[in-house]
Amino acid sequence: MTTRVAELFAEARTDAGQLQAALHVEQVAALAYAAAADEPLEGAERAQALRFAEHERRHAAAFETLLFALTVPVRAHAGPEDLDALLPRLIDADRSDALRGLAALEGAAIAGHQLMGRRLLALDALRTVATVMAGGAQHLVVLRHALGKTPLTHTYETGR
Amino acid sequence: MLGVRLSGTENGVVGRAGPRPRDGSYSRRRFLAAAAVLAGALLTACGRDAARERTPTDAEVFDGLLRRELVAGAAVARVAGAAAVARQDEQHAERLREVAGSAVTGRLPDPGGDLRGALARKQEGVFAYVDALPQLEDPELRVLVMRVAASEAAHLAALRLAAGGEPVPDAFAGFSGAPA
Repeated sequence: MTTRVAELFAEARTDAGQLQAALHVEQVAALAYAAAADEPLEGAERAQALRFAEHERRHAAAFETLLFALTVPVRAHAGPEDLDALLPRLIDADRSDALRGLAALEGAAIAGHQLMGRRLLALDALRTVATVMAGGAQHLVVLRHALGKTPLTHTYETGR
Repeated sequence: MLGVRLSGTENGVVGRAGPRPRDGSYSRRRFLAAAAVLAGALLTACGRDAARERTPTDAEVFDGLLRRELVAGAAVARVAGAAAVARQDEQHAERLREVAGSAVTGRLPDPGGDLRGALARKQEGVFAYVDALPQLEDPELRVLVMRVAASEAAHLAALRLAAGGEPVPDAFAGFSGAPA
């Protein structure tokens, strides 16, 4: 899964292409959290997943706005088939596997955003990318905590 | 997740750390309005931003970031149970110092001595790292700053989590309430 996300970012050659890749991953992340909240997460974890799904939708909206600024229309929206392509076993996953999958997706997105830091030409747009990335890093802390992983934070957060 | 309690007080802490919205006011509409301003800037820019002509050198940018990091690190170092975060802050400062190529001189502000102050200084640090990105010429330094910014944002979540607060109160790591 992380390989496919990395490919999406790596294949993008223009600012618009990079923002489209980022948009797609955020849309899929929103679907992933919603699916995990549907099943298998329960209780407080389910509530948090629903909150994070909303965060991901806001991230996607931010990328849509940046694409609008580049006069790139956003017509396609990620659907269940896209979720299945990036997180193929999420639907049938148990709690731990679902959390691991979500963490992997967040990490891959962070790595992709940092690649944009190297390649994006419209540098003002990088601020928005970085705020989305920072939000993802915070999600990652919660997911690591839920998985019982330590440390929760890294000196240089690369998503990996 | 995950057994974490919501805490209105915690949100208040962040409110003092930087521009934060009132409950219900940092809607998608508000963020999109801010993003639209950015969009305007993008439309008027051609390739690299014209504002870059007035920006400081990368080393100067890092010198400013180092000051922020030292203040935030000093604040965290006074918080019980935050040793791991404090160690990572020291490593951030060391790397920033290497790039800045100079030692910070002059008196740094008093960082305060409690969790609330540490969170406030951390949030200011995240704002500073993100704000610095378009000013940096070297792409590798931009990546470095993004990695440190992500780490600092993660520190905020981890400290809130350890204190029993909501670890991620904002989708954009505290930026949703930023003035448009």
